[in-house]
Amino acid sequence: MNHILEVKDLSVVYESNGFTALQAVDHVSFVLEAGEFVGLVGESGSGKSTLGFAITRLQKPPARTNGGQILFRGKDIRELDVESLRQQRQGGFAMVLQSGMNALNPVRTIRNHFIDIFRAHGHVEKSRWDARQIELIEKVGLSKEALARFPGELSGGMRQRVSIALALSLEPQLMVFDEPTTALDVLVQQAIMTTIKSLQKSEGFTAVLISHDLGVVLESTQRVLVMHEGRIVEDASSAEILQNPQDEYTRMLLSHYADPRAEVVELPGFTERASRDGAGAGKASGTTAAGTTASREGRSADSAIVVDQVSMVYPPPRRGESAITAVDDVSFTLEPGESLALVGASGSGKSTIAKLITGIEKPTSGTVKFGSLDVARLGRGQIRELHRNVQMIFQDPYSALNPLHTVEYTLTRPVVNFGGLRGPQARRRVLELLETVGLAPVEQFAAKLPHQLSGGQRQRVVIARALASNPQVLIADEPVSMLDVSLRAGVLALLEELREQWGVSMLYITHDLLSARLVTENIMVLNGGRVVERGNTAQVLQHPEDDYTIRLLDAVPNPARAWGAAV
Amino acid sequence: MAFVLRKIGLFLLTLWAAVTLNFLLPRMMPGSPTDAAIAKLAQNGPVTDATRKAIEAQLGVPDGNIFEQYLGYLHQVITLDFGVSYTFYPQSVSEMIWQAFPYTVILVGFVTIIAFVLGTLIGVLTAWKRNTWLDALPTLTGSFASTFPYFWTALLLLFFAGYVFHLFPTSGAFGPTASPAMTWEFFVDVLYHAALPALTILITSLGGWIIGMRNAMINTLGDDYVTFAEANGLKGRTVAIRYAARNAILPNLTGFGLALGGVVGGSVLVEQVFGYPGIGYLLFNAVIGQDYPLMQALFLMITVSVLIANFLVDIMYGVLDPRTRR
Repeated sequence: MNHILEVKDLSVVYESNGFTALQAVDHVSFVLEAGEFVGLVGESGSGKSTLGFAITRLQKPPARTNGGQILFRGKDIRELDVESLRQQRQGGFAMVLQSGMNALNPVRTIRNHFIDIFRAHGHVEKSRWDARQIELIEKVGLSKEALARFPGELSGGMRQRVSIALALSLEPQLMVFDEPTTALDVLVQQAIMTTIKSLQKSEGFTAVLISHDLGVVLESTQRVLVMHEGRIVEDASSAEILQNPQDEYTRMLLSHYADPRAEVVELPGFTERASRDGAGAGKASGTTAAGTTASREGRSADSAIVVDQVSMVYPPPRRGESAITAVDDVSFTLEPGESLALVGASGSGKSTIAKLITGIEKPTSGTVKFGSLDVARLGRGQIRELHRNVQMIFQDPYSALNPLHTVEYTLTRPVVNFGGLRGPQARRRVLELLETVGLAPVEQFAAKLPHQLSGGQRQRVVIARALASNPQVLIADEPVSMLDVSLRAGVLALLEELREQWGVSMLYITHDLLSARLVTENIMVLNGGRVVERGNTAQVLQHPEDDYTIRLLDAVPNPARAWGAAV
Repeated sequence: MAFVLRKIGLFLLTLWAAVTLNFLLPRMMPGSPTDAAIAKLAQNGPVTDATRKAIEAQLGVPDGNIFEQYLGYLHQVITLDFGVSYTFYPQSVSEMIWQAFPYTVILVGFVTIIAFVLGTLIGVLTAWKRNTWLDALPTLTGSFASTFPYFWTALLLLFFAGYVFHLFPTSGAFGPTASPAMTWEFFVDVLYHAALPALTILITSLGGWIIGMRNAMINTLGDDYVTFAEANGLKGRTVAIRYAARNAILPNLTGFGLALGGVVGGSVLVEQVFGYPGIGYLLFNAVIGQDYPLMQALFLMITVSVLIANFLVDIMYGVLDPRTRR
């Protein structure tokens, strides 16, 4: 018996005045052995974070544990009073928060953060403070210069490393990592996960990794708890989950992982079309998605976007620093009906290119043309013409819709403005759009407000809004990165279908190579504003030549690779 | 250091602009004090050219072109020579302001600082103990008291504490027998006379600071760094003061700067009700008596003190918030 944590029949409810109590964690039981690295996986709303906060007793009203026990080294921490709980945090359990970049006090230096902890617990002698700080900060891969900095002077990844070092300074026996790499850049994510894994081995603490990403969890943990609607639906070793998942929900999550380098890439929702388009018209090889020359019921695009030797230089952010070259001599053409992926880590310039094409920013040099329009030099009417034909789909469906307007109102605006339709005609067009993006029954969805929709449904509304003006080009900026895995495939399939049926061309901006493989035929890899590799998507991903492309590919979570087995 | 120098530079630039505007504005306005005086005299019969010259000379109407006037004006501002008051002739404007200034600074300035400090502390307490009686009591009383108009609170205090119970004097800055001097007795007498107006300002402004601080702190208490500090087992007091309150106070500093800048303008209503001889009282009388030199000097002084207060707050921000030191 070497249980470090034993959770018995634990329930957590959210109780706010005037609302029915919400059972976020529903009679959950599990055991953690000392030295284990366990993953806790689930989609948004599954209760995984609530559970993480409950077992470290950090839950705040309206969340409340009701019923059950949390035995940490045999003692129920639910019964600890405030002061013993506080003391327990040294040498007991520690937590690294989801948005670690905001977990540091902006007005205190990193050194003071350490000193606050040393003072609160007195577990490090004052004469050892400096040495201990340096030791800890170097353990997480930072140099000791970081100690004198304020949080605002460090990058997001560095801040997350600092929070790990701070949690480590408590010398905890149990560490809970709540989505430690979400909101960080892909390459940084991978580096931080590597640090966490090696620390867990060298320091020997028991670790719980809470994540929505089964891929990341399977790669680093030995055992996985799968959570769904407040319950643990599966508790098995990582290898077992990978090879022989028992629960249907686990199987569903797993089915959304694939290797973008594979010969054939299949995801639920894409397989079906594979049989229909078996010939793979127009595509070199690879994805099972539809070809571009398939029948087009809508109007087909007739204008290409031509980006010619474009550079974008932003003035220096502070005095004495050098100017920032966001885009460096980039040229490409987006042909009518083509879908082109623009991939790269954050700061690679991919979003800047979207801004240049939509005319939000003007290039420092070079030209961007849509048909005969020079995007940088447009008159009033021409801007309208550009916006009618080039539409954006935004990353965050939660902030892209005005919470005060119904779906119908949101969609009616562009229908009236660009389509010139009025009254019943406009309404018919709105319902048609909802039908197109697969939100049926349309009448019901038209009357809803954004908060009544799920993330995937909202993103469909955003897409419908972009389609309202009957555009020739869609620019999709990370359209699925904020969505749960199970919803991604559906939205991707929709984008693919639109292109196929309407002949819309699409610029697909992403860091996610798997989705790029699914919905695009050509790809451009950007690094530091420069194009480092381009070509047919399937070919580039299967036989990458540039170092940077290879690094991006390696950063894609791939459970199969980690366990040396096929999915 | 570069930050402070830049702020000083910016301060000097705005100061110059304000002083220059104060010079230009009256010259761009239609009409003139001379015309006003002549219009008054004209009601009793025709006014001769000699009378006009005499009035102009008396008012000190400047001669020379606008640049010479501007240079002369700058010289006056630097030497604090604002001419002679109309209503309290032959006292100079500087002399009058100089007499009223200490009373206002002691009364309004001191009370503003106390209200800010006290209100902020209570705000921290209420947010930290929220949803207990320690939160409900100050929050409710504070928001109730701050809805009273100044003059109404003043009249209530005047009636009960001054007239009915004779706890404090009802007007003036010092008693009839006291003679202004740097003595302990005189100082106590001044404090005694300042009690009621001070209380009025405190009662009506405290609630705002409490609620402002409480709201800001409830926000920061929800921030991740506070949760993380708790997760690291920091002591409650450290989390409340160094993490939550320390960040919550930043937005309130701007309000404090504005309030401090307003101090020199005095509290016209309060000083008027209590017959307190501060800047507010002076300003009121200057407007009533159409005392142009006094008014212009007071307006300039108010502008400059708002600028100084904002400058100080800017510097304070630089000290308190590393993110602004860029």
